[in-house]
Amino acid sequence: MASFKEIKERGYLPQKNLRRLLIFGTLILIKMLITNLSLIRKLSQIPSTGKQYIRPPRRYDLPKFDKDMRYCDANEKYLRPTLYCNSHAPEIIALAHELGAYKKSDREFAKAAFEFAKRKITLEMMSLDGVEYTIRRGAGTCLHEITVFVALCRAAGIKARYKLYSLTMIQAWEDTMIVDPMVKKFQDAMGYFMIHGEGEVFLDGKWVVCDVGPTPERQAATKTPISRFGEDSIGVWLNAVPGTIMFTESLPYGLNVMMRFVQKIAPMTIDKVNKNILDEINRGKEILKEKGEENYDKEIRKSFKPKFPEPVLKMKKSIIFEK
Amino acid sequence: MIDFNQYISNYEKCVSKYIPPKQTWTPVDEAIFKPRDLYRIPLKEAKEMQFKSIKYAFNHHYEKNEFYNNFCKEHKVTPKDIKSIDDFNKIPLIPDKFFKDYPKGKDFATWIANIYTGELPEIVIKNNKPTYDEVIDAFNKAGICITFSSGTGGKHTFIPRDQRTFYTSEYAAAKSLLTMIYPLWEYDAFGYLLMPNPKKTNVYAGKALEIYFDAVKDISVAIDREVNTELIRLTMGGKGIKGKIIQLLAKRTSVKMIDDIIKWLELREKNNDKFTMVGAPYILYAVMKKLKREGRSFNFGEKAGIGTGGGWKVHEHNRIPFDDFQKEVEEVLGIPGKYCLDVYAMVEGNGWMVHCPEGHYLHMPYSYYQPFVLDEEFNQLGYDESGRFAFLDAAAGSYPGFIVTGDQVKLLEHCPVCDRPGPVLDPEVKRVKGEEIRGCAEEVRRMLSSDIGN
Repeated sequence: MASFKEIKERGYLPQKNLRRLLIFGTLILIKMLITNLSLIRKLSQIPSTGKQYIRPPRRYDLPKFDKDMRYCDANEKYLRPTLYCNSHAPEIIALAHELGAYKKSDREFAKAAFEFAKRKITLEMMSLDGVEYTIRRGAGTCLHEITVFVALCRAAGIKARYKLYSLTMIQAWEDTMIVDPMVKKFQDAMGYFMIHGEGEVFLDGKWVVCDVGPTPERQAATKTPISRFGEDSIGVWLNAVPGTIMFTESLPYGLNVMMRFVQKIAPMTIDKVNKNILDEINRGKEILKEKGEENYDKEIRKSFKPKFPEPVLKMKKSIIFEK
Repeated sequence: MIDFNQYISNYEKCVSKYIPPKQTWTPVDEAIFKPRDLYRIPLKEAKEMQFKSIKYAFNHHYEKNEFYNNFCKEHKVTPKDIKSIDDFNKIPLIPDKFFKDYPKGKDFATWIANIYTGELPEIVIKNNKPTYDEVIDAFNKAGICITFSSGTGGKHTFIPRDQRTFYTSEYAAAKSLLTMIYPLWEYDAFGYLLMPNPKKTNVYAGKALEIYFDAVKDISVAIDREVNTELIRLTMGGKGIKGKIIQLLAKRTSVKMIDDIIKWLELREKNNDKFTMVGAPYILYAVMKKLKREGRSFNFGEKAGIGTGGGWKVHEHNRIPFDDFQKEVEEVLGIPGKYCLDVYAMVEGNGWMVHCPEGHYLHMPYSYYQPFVLDEEFNQLGYDESGRFAFLDAAAGSYPGFIVTGDQVKLLEHCPVCDRPGPVLDPEVKRVKGEEIRGCAEEVRRMLSSDIGN
């Protein structure tokens, strides 16, 4: 159990923006529950045919852990373990070594960690759990994927953090996520999806963004470029709601409550989303098989144009707030 | 019958304050204020105006709007790349959702300031944690009109217009409609605005019709109370005692509103007055339904006209086809179909697409407005194909009006029925799958409570 000092220091308490989002999201969800009881009842029932989503096999073998393996045990901000991100877990240490920790340069290792988290972890909607479980399972949400990246970097002694925000997505991604009237109503009422993020690694005095969320197959299926190390997804396949971007050492408390709640009341919704993600991955696999990843990416980058302008929130002198 | 040129001159006399001094006209003003009939400009002439006005607008936003300038840079497009109308498809389009992604409080004011093109006047906000309405009021006081629509799903779209942009939009709205109802309009007549009072709201469809008060001598208003974002929130499902009271009051006033409109119609019949009714079809539909229930009808003939807009939902699950509505107008009010026209517009744009009386296709103001139909990847489709509606709107001077909407339309090169030369939209406009229902009329319908039509 973390002490209050630790909770405060490591950013386990949601930042103001996130607190607002969580409260707003919870209120909307409660309102929807009360006003759509029959729909919720329907969505919570698992049909006789059972669930449609079957988790695909892990895309990698688990490396062996040796207790003599070196890892970073500094109690320093952005290097230490945080909530759901135990960078001292044997699974993480072993994987970090397999990816070249303490052999490669920091940049080379961060790239390897980025490629692993991006390509090897399958997106699956579920509640949050420790990073070691994600590694064993080979699947998780975007927040799980970022946590894998952050934990690997920290285990290798490279500072890493989370960049979180609320988002709106391009239509093709929304089509995968909005699977039933409940999700639609929730999204309409919020005006955006709750939370998404990217990892950031500190290299040569600068934070470098790493969009580990979408696998190349999913990007091919939605006709977007395959994001590279250092490339931001904001403005490409999503738009961050202005004022919601936050940088944090840890995933905060509170995020999991809502996810668990949704999983409990609407398991079939989660099942449908996960099934859609798998279909999307399979469609993307076909595209990449046909064109080759490099060719696909080259081609799409020629024609691809960002769909969303990036909003600017610069203070203007002409606006005066009187107290 | 009055000569068309005289007809437009009469209109311009009434609305002279909306027309900027000629010596200050830009290519955008030339394209809007110069043509007598926005829908009958010869194509060659219109294309020249369109090119000059849109290129001027693009250059203006590229130079004076930081977020749009960044977006253009990401698209690797500069004004130099726009050499002819064929290059219009290079102009980066902003999804309409962009105008729905805004923060709260102080940041909301900063967000508006950052999407605004050009220099802002001094804006004083008397609260450190302002509500949306407080921010809107502060901007309005400084001469920047922040209008909004359509929060049917809970989120409004906010657009900042400086006075010149707003006046231009209003001028174009009225000119578009009265061109199509020629020769019906005259100043010495009566009008009924089936929307909130423009002087008491910032809901775009209400606010943009403020010009109605200058173009017609005697105007009555259906919803004559202050309508702000807070009231909309409360009437559209606000919880608690306050919400319930507001909803109850809204319902009671709505019933009274229908009776008032019927009384007004009786008076017009008695005095043999000329009149127009403009606004949400849903309200007029409720009036006609009540008249039918009571076995009553009028026969106003060619002395009256109806202009509708903002969506066609009459109940939560019931969308009335325009043809049926028009038939009801003929049967119950005795107004001929040629004087019952629908207008398609949106808060993000200043182009008013109006039904032609002959075929009821939606005609584009093509001298300053370029429509596109796009596929899901935002690639341009050809004429006669259905897809997502997008437009380049030169009249938007205070924000970049190069926008992709959530509406599904079919664009035709010419009207299949009338001889106006410009492009038209098929009258059937739908929402793209997955997009929330919207429309100012829909917002008003929800505000009034959906029971008045029963």
